[in-house]
Amino acid sequence: MASAMKKNFAANLVLIVTGIFIFFPLYAATEFSLRNGAEHTHGFAAYRWIFAQSGFIENLGITLRVTSLAVVLNLLIMVPTVTWLHLSGQRYKRLVEILTILPLIFPVVALATGAQLAMPDFMQNSVYELSFFYVVIAMPYTYRALDIGLSGHPLSTITNAARNLGASWLKTLSSVVIPTIRPSILAALFLMVALSLGEFTLAQLLHWSTFPVWVTNVSQQNVIGATALAIGSLFFAWILLFGFSFLGSKNSTTVQEEE
Amino acid sequence: MSKDSLTVKGLSRQFGSVLALDNFNINVAKGELVALLGPSGCGKTTALRIIAGLEKSNTGSVTLNGKVITDEAAHTRNMGMVFQAYSLFPHLSVAENVAFGLKMRKVAKKKRDKKVGSILELVGLGNHHKRFAHQLSGGQQQRVALARALVIEPEVLLLDEPLSALDAQVRTNLREEIRRLQLSLGTTTLFVTHDQEEAMAISDRVGVMSNGRLEQIDTPDVLYNTPATAFVANFVGVMNHIPGVRSGKSVSIFGDSYKVRNLDGGDGHVVALIRPEQLDVEEAKKHGNARVVTRSFLGASSRIICELTDGTIVQSLKPSSESGGLHPGEMVNLSINTKEVLIANA
Repeated sequence: MASAMKKNFAANLVLIVTGIFIFFPLYAATEFSLRNGAEHTHGFAAYRWIFAQSGFIENLGITLRVTSLAVVLNLLIMVPTVTWLHLSGQRYKRLVEILTILPLIFPVVALATGAQLAMPDFMQNSVYELSFFYVVIAMPYTYRALDIGLSGHPLSTITNAARNLGASWLKTLSSVVIPTIRPSILAALFLMVALSLGEFTLAQLLHWSTFPVWVTNVSQQNVIGATALAIGSLFFAWILLFGFSFLGSKNSTTVQEEE
Repeated sequence: MSKDSLTVKGLSRQFGSVLALDNFNINVAKGELVALLGPSGCGKTTALRIIAGLEKSNTGSVTLNGKVITDEAAHTRNMGMVFQAYSLFPHLSVAENVAFGLKMRKVAKKKRDKKVGSILELVGLGNHHKRFAHQLSGGQQQRVALARALVIEPEVLLLDEPLSALDAQVRTNLREEIRRLQLSLGTTTLFVTHDQEEAMAISDRVGVMSNGRLEQIDTPDVLYNTPATAFVANFVGVMNHIPGVRSGKSVSIFGDSYKVRNLDGGDGHVVALIRPEQLDVEEAKKHGNARVVTRSFLGASSRIICELTDGTIVQSLKPSSESGGLHPGEMVNLSINTKEVLIANA
């Protein structure tokens, strides 16, 4: 009894300390973003200031379009590849795992200069080249999210069952594999979106004006506005996370087993 | 039974240096249930997967109702299959799982719903339409898988050890249910299992496989009573290995001579393969040829374990009413109550 109470106390203490560690800076930043300049009053002036800056909508639009293309490309490339690795490419799995870690090893500068030169001219002149780079940068995370999702199911058996019931490979992928690993796809999608929305270095190095680049530029004029932008971006990401979690949790209720 | 529904000729499949299937041939008649029985790695699942189109063979052909389908893709063969591992699609409800194959065949929704409803009633899951796989027990999941395979009205039903993941009681119930459904629907069925009791209990014929080859295929009675090879004799049922000396077409065991059924091999020391019920035990008046080790009462019959003078342990199955006087340590006379025996190398 005493030992259980001790355990509970320790667990609660860890929870409280972690909570303070995460939420206190957020609280401080939110409080700061609500200050009205040098006056000791609070309001939404800094948030109004964000919307008054020129380029907000345009840059957010560019980032969302680049992100959307990156998400589509990522899923089109990664879902069939990881599925194939699980079904019949087991011997290449180790190699692919190593390849997917490379974006973490090579500096973004090398990707920006080296990889861009390998792109055709029409791509080099389009902001959508960033989507391809984002797919590469996000690969270490998205690959693992999908890999974990597929490892949790008897993929070979359910694909064999689908084919045996009359589904072609394409139909098996779209009607069975993708819905089965939907939570993992949503996790990969969230990682991709979070990374694309916040990516600054590549866009700046390649001279593209995206939302994070715009945020950096306007932040230099107004420190409270910059904090408001950071908080706003964070809440936007959280809303996305909750949205994906909600979609992923569908059909996950359980009932008692019976025979 | 009418003419053959499924004909498999000369199938071979090699994985690297391992020959998984070696000139495999089988015919399954319309409405027949044939079991492929054998130890792990004997090639029975490989054969089933090739027939289903999930695996390619190196040589041979598969013919279904007169049509050669060897090179057809798995999804265009009209075969239902139930797998060893649970194979329900986790994102679909029971009814949606069962309807999947009908959807692929573009069956109208109204007809689809009707067929799904009646097949689920048939497998005893009429009130489980809306449940998901994780809300069902193992036995229920395999019943749904069976319903899903049957609802498409397959030309052949393939069962790949569908009961092996279930506990003993559920397994016995479900195997009877499979047989009941198979008989009522008249579905031609090929059933792979490593459990001889399962195979013998529900099959019209049983094919025993070893090292990628079909050793013998026949009715359960013939397989048990007149096995063609020593492997079949040993694999199907319990078999005693009693030392003897062969001379030409006869073998001498316990001082008596018996006709040898399998004539391959030469003269000399051999072991005779004798079923427990073919071995008689009598109390020895003077010196016996064996000593009773234990007697286990099984109800109507009793199992008597004996030790021969050379240390070989054998068992006999006798009616309990005739074996009550046999006690451990007692000397007995063993004799064989058949004229023909199967022998193997000593």
